[in-house]
Amino acid sequence: METNFIIAGFGGQGVLLAGTVLANAFMIEGKNVTWYPCYGAEMRGGTVNCEIVVSDTEVSSVHKQDTDFALVLNQQSFDKFVQRVKSGGTIVANSTLVAESRPRSDIKYVFAPMTKIANDMGNGKVTNVVSLGVLSSVCKIVSKDFLAKGVEKVLGEKKKSLLPLNLKALENGAASLALV
Amino acid sequence: MTTEKVLIKGNYAIAQAAVNAGCQCYFGYPITPQTEIGEYLSGKMQELGRAYVCAESELGAINMVMGAVSTGVKAMTSSSSCAVALMQEALSYAASDELPVVLVNVMRTGPGLGYIYPAQGDYNQAVYGGGNGDYKIIVLAPSTVQECVDLTYRAFYLAQKYRNPVILLADGLLGQMMEPASFGEYPYPEVDVSGWALTGAKGREARKIYSVAPDEKKQIQHIYDLHKKFEVIAENETTYEEFNIDDAEIVLTAFGSMTRNIKAAMNVLRSKGIKAGCFRPVTLSPFPHNRISELALKGKDFAVVEMNMGQMFKDVKYAVDGKSKVDLINRPCGEWLSVEEIVAGVERVMQGGKAYAANI
Repeated sequence: METNFIIAGFGGQGVLLAGTVLANAFMIEGKNVTWYPCYGAEMRGGTVNCEIVVSDTEVSSVHKQDTDFALVLNQQSFDKFVQRVKSGGTIVANSTLVAESRPRSDIKYVFAPMTKIANDMGNGKVTNVVSLGVLSSVCKIVSKDFLAKGVEKVLGEKKKSLLPLNLKALENGAASLALV
Repeated sequence: MTTEKVLIKGNYAIAQAAVNAGCQCYFGYPITPQTEIGEYLSGKMQELGRAYVCAESELGAINMVMGAVSTGVKAMTSSSSCAVALMQEALSYAASDELPVVLVNVMRTGPGLGYIYPAQGDYNQAVYGGGNGDYKIIVLAPSTVQECVDLTYRAFYLAQKYRNPVILLADGLLGQMMEPASFGEYPYPEVDVSGWALTGAKGREARKIYSVAPDEKKQIQHIYDLHKKFEVIAENETTYEEFNIDDAEIVLTAFGSMTRNIKAAMNVLRSKGIKAGCFRPVTLSPFPHNRISELALKGKDFAVVEMNMGQMFKDVKYAVDGKSKVDLINRPCGEWLSVEEIVAGVERVMQGGKAYAANI
């Protein structure tokens, strides 16, 4: 069983870091996982994305045409990746920056105001971690507990002081859909 | 050092493995997609009191490596495709001088400046070389981030063991991706270099390392000796991996990070009732010609899957020598051939069609 995720947004929204947290969570859970970024002549404010593939067996290919889940944090990413979601797949969008629309009828849509949730916590920078919380509530194989361990691992000793804020962001993201 | 798994980029894995292997000096010049190797070592080598030089050019870097390794220490440089092209003259000298140079090439797209997309177009450059004269380089091709670690260790060991340059041939996909890997300890013994290294002639006769050969007889012997040495390397060090080969009718063959895609394609083909197997050379030079010949004599066909216009394809054809059918499934660069494209390509060639350049 293999599942892939694309996480996309503006450069600076922390999408590569969100992908790193997700990949670490899968690794800690004992699964096979790969993380592959778009890389190129990128600039701040441009769009950026990374792809995570998780599998019970060896990962088949690191970079795929289409995706089971797209987690998109801005409008450009929504417009681009809504076309790359597999039929029956899910797009999870940051409704603070993405207009709610449903251009295809064969995929599922989840909208959550991720940037607003982060801003309400007093720190817009945790939008990326909020988004992972939202993802954990709509995707069975993404575990909030392992995401918490992933966040801890990525922050490491140096940035341990930021752990409580990030764990709260994860919780608030996961709880956000229940509130809607 | 620990056996704990860490999620790490291929480039950083190569850099940390070089540190663990005892690399005392790194010389390099930045180029995408391998710049993280130099970035990582710029800090790490200072911390450890080892040497790091951001060279003025790739020519400078490879020649600095030659100087460093001639004193018996382990040293390396890393670069990518069009910049590795600049180092070819030095590789010819290093092979003739029998210097244990370690060069990492994280391939991007060529020819010319090309671009930073991943590709596998430097197979010929690495295996056959762009330097002058009759020389051979050891070429190792990792397929996963774990192998970026394992084969970096092996590169340092083989370079000193045989006093021969070694290229670690990775690609942009492998350099940029992250995957869990563990480092463990450097698994090879230290090689005694005291018999040849230039360490100062106090108390012994002076040594010289040079490649100028004004004596014809000696030069003939030198070339024979280099090639005899490479025969020993081929005998001892040729390595490959194979999967489901015994009953296979068609053998998917790839090197480097394409390996995982052909393994997945093999599983899909098997589920459709097609007896597919996989073969993957770990050492591109020495190349596992003998094993491929054996498999061809058993009547197994080959489908070579690579991200270039058919470079390893020629080596497979040479080894098969007309005993069975060899087809090419390829794209020149960019997005790796997907599992679906490979499966479709294999089905086409099995029906006698062409799968040449899947995209055109």
